[in-house]
Amino acid sequence: MNPIPNALCFGDGLPGVGAPCHVTVSADGLTMVPVGTSPLVEEAIAFADMSVEAGGLDHDQLVVSWGTGSSARTLYLKDPALIIAFRRAAPAELTAHLERAAVQVRRARHGHRLLWGSVLGVVFGLGLLLWFGTDLIVEWAVARIPIEWEQKLGESVYQDFLSKETVLKEGPAVSAVQEMTQRLTDKIRDNPYKFQISVVQSPVVNAFALPGGYVVVFTGLMTKAESGEEVAGVLSHELNHVLQRHGMERMVKMLGLAAVVGILLGDQQGLTGLAKQVGMELVTLKFGRAQETEADVTGIRLLSDARIAPDGMIRFFERLSEKDKARVEVFSTHPMSAGRAERLKAELAALPKRTPEPFTFQWKTIQDSLGVSDPKK
Amino acid sequence: MKCEILYPGAFPMVRVYLDASETVKAESGAMVAASPTIDIESKMEGGFLGALSRKMLSGEKFFFQTLRASRGAGEVLLAPTVPGEIVLLELDGVNEYMVQKDGFLAGAEGVKIESKMQSLTRGLLGGEGFFILKIGGTGHLVLNSFGAIHKIELKPNEEYIVDNSHLVAWTSTTTYNIEKASSGWIASLTSGEGLVCRFRGPGVVYIQSRNPGSFGNWIRQFIPVSE
Ligand SMILES: [Zn+2]
Repeated sequence: MNPIPNALCFGDGLPGVGAPCHVTVSADGLTMVPVGTSPLVEEAIAFADMSVEAGGLDHDQLVVSWGTGSSARTLYLKDPALIIAFRRAAPAELTAHLERAAVQVRRARHGHRLLWGSVLGVVFGLGLLLWFGTDLIVEWAVARIPIEWEQKLGESVYQDFLSKETVLKEGPAVSAVQEMTQRLTDKIRDNPYKFQISVVQSPVVNAFALPGGYVVVFTGLMTKAESGEEVAGVLSHELNHVLQRHGMERMVKMLGLAAVVGILLGDQQGLTGLAKQVGMELVTLKFGRAQETEADVTGIRLLSDARIAPDGMIRFFERLSEKDKARVEVFSTHPMSAGRAERLKAELAALPKRTPEPFTFQWKTIQDSLGVSDPKK
Repeated sequence: MKCEILYPGAFPMVRVYLDASETVKAESGAMVAASPTIDIESKMEGGFLGALSRKMLSGEKFFFQTLRASRGAGEVLLAPTVPGEIVLLELDGVNEYMVQKDGFLAGAEGVKIESKMQSLTRGLLGGEGFFILKIGGTGHLVLNSFGAIHKIELKPNEEYIVDNSHLVAWTSTTTYNIEKASSGWIASLTSGEGLVCRFRGPGVVYIQSRNPGSFGNWIRQFIPVSE
């Protein structure tokens, strides 16, 4: 009868994955019987002739070695019952090694458990805090993500996205958007980002900004807007989502545990891998109410600083929400909550009055270049 | 269950013969064709949470399908998504393989698949998520790769260094550490992360001759960004 294998034997002339064998423990050593067809021969090894250590991927296997040169053999025992039997039968001088090995295993396991336990504890704590509406922890975590890493992530999603879309390389619409962006970014203090803007040919009425400062404006937004100031309003709002790192905050919330663990350990390598999986979701990311308000308020201030009439965005939103709210994408990624328009107007009223400086382009010319025949009537 | 590799090389397929009521576990989406006596059971290996954790943390497809010859003996044809060699292993109950998340194609009824949490540093630095598959039990195990599969046999304490994006599977008697690549490696490294695995025998490490990530980057340069 063929016994069930409970160990693997390694050595010269034996298969690389180890030769399966059946090991039994006696009072003075081990007996190893090969299982199946194998170049291994049955062997009895005295305790006095072997050395023992802990090994294997998880440090939970008992490694028994004996012999020298081409007859050297290494045996990997995994079966817990077999390991216990071995420890009972082995003499004291071997047991010393074994106990040390066992302590190693226990310590490794304990270490892992402690690490995971504390990580889970921290994550659970964070979860509780998040549950009770505190975004401070997320902000704290996001503040620990280096800008360069954020840019790397944003750029890869940006390139991915653009590769599937029709990108306008030049023309009046592109120059107009570049002019708006330039005027806005000139007024950003301590700007760590190098904003990159693309105009994408698409009927989608939206614009989005990826973490790291990669902004996409769809031509659909430009055809629906009645002035450059309206587009600049949306742009300013988007730029402020980036500056406040809202995208990263949403991602950390979305990725939850894994991301937070990654950030806690100060290790962005693993996070990059996970982030890639949700990369495209960044494009359709929905911001929270508090984030919208923050981007609105800072967006309006930036417009005012750049001497662009700051009521463009609110006019744009109000006009669109009257008609076809359901079909306008900008509302799905930037939800319009009750009171948001009021907040915007209040902020607008509180701003110092500045004389706006017009853009160098004629909005009509831009829209004509996009093939809009009669935008108003 | 009997297994046969058809068209060995870059575009192989596996033919699995099942006796009546016998089952085979297959990566979902791997089934190409089957006898009419074969039924698909979408049983989640490792329970819902196990499946969920695989999905969430290793990007693995949600289910392993179980294919059962419920209405009599029959055969199933299985093929992986990516072009690459297939390797057929026999598990005898003692040997165990750690398999990188995309490496599993199929396993016999007696094959046990577990999502295993990698130690934190290994998982994070390895860029393979926190989970790899630990596959043991008895019966045939079919792994797939991207490119050709190369087998490295390690004697006790023998070491070998592998770019981690080329890893397919390794035996659980083999230990490994993730290391930063030394300067000489950086230039030839395809992973771009500058990380390698240092394996220490005894055991076997299977590697794939192509790196899916680099291949993706290479192919992307030929996709035009239209005007
Ligand atoms: Zn918004």
